[in-house]
Amino acid sequence: MTALDRAARDHKGRVVAALAARFRDLDLAEEGFAEACARAVTAWVPTPPRDPAAWLFRVADRVALDALRKRAIRAGAALPPPDPELNAEELLMADSALIPDERLRLIFICCHPAIHPEARAALTLKLVCGLSAQEIAHAFLIPETTLAQRLVRAKRKIADAGVPFEVPGPDAWPDRLGAVLSTIEIAYAKAHEDAGGAGRHAGYAREILDITRTLASLTPQEPEVLALAATVRFAEARRPARIDATGMMVPLDRQDPALWDQALIAEGRIHLARALALGSTGARTLQALIHAEWCLRRSLVDPAPWRSILVLYDALLQLRDDPVIRLNRAVALAEIAGPAVALAEVDALDAAMLADFLPWHAVRADLLARLDLTDAACAAYDAALRLKPEKAERLWLEAQRTTLDR
Amino acid sequence: MQYMLLIYEDEAGYGDKYDSPEVRDITARHMALVGELGPTLVSGAGLMPTATATTVRTTGGKQAVHDGPFAETKEQLGGYYLIEAPDLDAAIAIARRIPLRVDGAIEVRPLIVH
Repeated sequence: MTALDRAARDHKGRVVAALAARFRDLDLAEEGFAEACARAVTAWVPTPPRDPAAWLFRVADRVALDALRKRAIRAGAALPPPDPELNAEELLMADSALIPDERLRLIFICCHPAIHPEARAALTLKLVCGLSAQEIAHAFLIPETTLAQRLVRAKRKIADAGVPFEVPGPDAWPDRLGAVLSTIEIAYAKAHEDAGGAGRHAGYAREILDITRTLASLTPQEPEVLALAATVRFAEARRPARIDATGMMVPLDRQDPALWDQALIAEGRIHLARALALGSTGARTLQALIHAEWCLRRSLVDPAPWRSILVLYDALLQLRDDPVIRLNRAVALAEIAGPAVALAEVDALDAAMLADFLPWHAVRADLLARLDLTDAACAAYDAALRLKPEKAERLWLEAQRTTLDR
Repeated sequence: MQYMLLIYEDEAGYGDKYDSPEVRDITARHMALVGELGPTLVSGAGLMPTATATTVRTTGGKQAVHDGPFAETKEQLGGYYLIEAPDLDAAIAIARRIPLRVDGAIEVRPLIVH
């Protein structure tokens, strides 16, 4: 990745958000940013600017203004002469502290309930997290053309239907926040799925840490926001332990806690403590508590906290009964009540609905293997492998499958 | 911007006649909202039931006139408000205040700007 690629990725959200807030036009903001990046290819040689974000913002701002001017002239308006061009020295000295942080505003625009739910996460990843359409299409397992259409349609709706470019008033927050949080959850789930994600996905997980921190600081009274900020930190703290030296996935209970990022865990605990202090018992708070319980572990010698995990999943099930939560609960149940009880629970789930859900096959395979139902276990591992898991997970499933053949 | 708020309800709830007690009651509630909206409201009206509807359809250049609404649906277009609002959120806020007899939907559509 070149210095420019990195700057483009790192600063896109902030720059596009500031431009969108200024011009109230997402396309103009994105096109301005893209043109600034194109100009940087030659302008940053040999000396890159001291502050790349500020350079990109100033140039993109100028590009957008020029585009607006051309539009106005085409419409026949008489305009005052343009401002003098920014000189190179000015650009080299520009300071990114002057870029207003409008990312929250941009998140609320991207996650407006009037936008199709599938498009919200894609739009947020594209505009706020700076991912390319290709990366998002890959993460969502959809063709790039389908994604591009969704993005175009969503942006057109925002412009044509008059979605406001403001952060909604506090009275609208309960309504609007749900859409924002579930969008961030979807976006983060995609980043988290890829255990080995070192380059591409790590950057985007970082953006989600950023977004949740910003949200939490702006809404310190919203327990669900704090809980999500905590969950993302606990989950992200474990990333260094999620694959071994061979690139194979390491299941949570076999990860070496010494590899976990304790600073990130501590940050997560602060958010979670605030959520709990507000008296929250919401689903996101329970999910954060489950992660927090795991993150208490200090070494592989400590027993895994299965009993507390099971209690927390029981509570979560009361609030949100869905097959994925039931499946996760069954994993804990197997450790407490044995694999036969857990398998009965897993087999009671809607198999047709979960047919394409890899963890369902993987959990079943593990439980069947523990019950010495070797043929059924092999079939379940094969079913999981047919769903084309990422490399880390594939290596793990293949290794498990191989032990059964012996 | 101007937005059209289209009201969809099951018209069966209002009976056959447009002067039933249900219609009188909902009309009073609409008139109250009209008063509250003041100049925000550009125009608006209630529609007679779909039993009164006639459709002029053009197919392959040929026109035919027939009885009934454009489409048979569970909920029917029963009226509209045309409002002036700064943005979609303001339009949605007004849509939320539109009275319904029981269930129903308000479709919020921006007008084309010429």
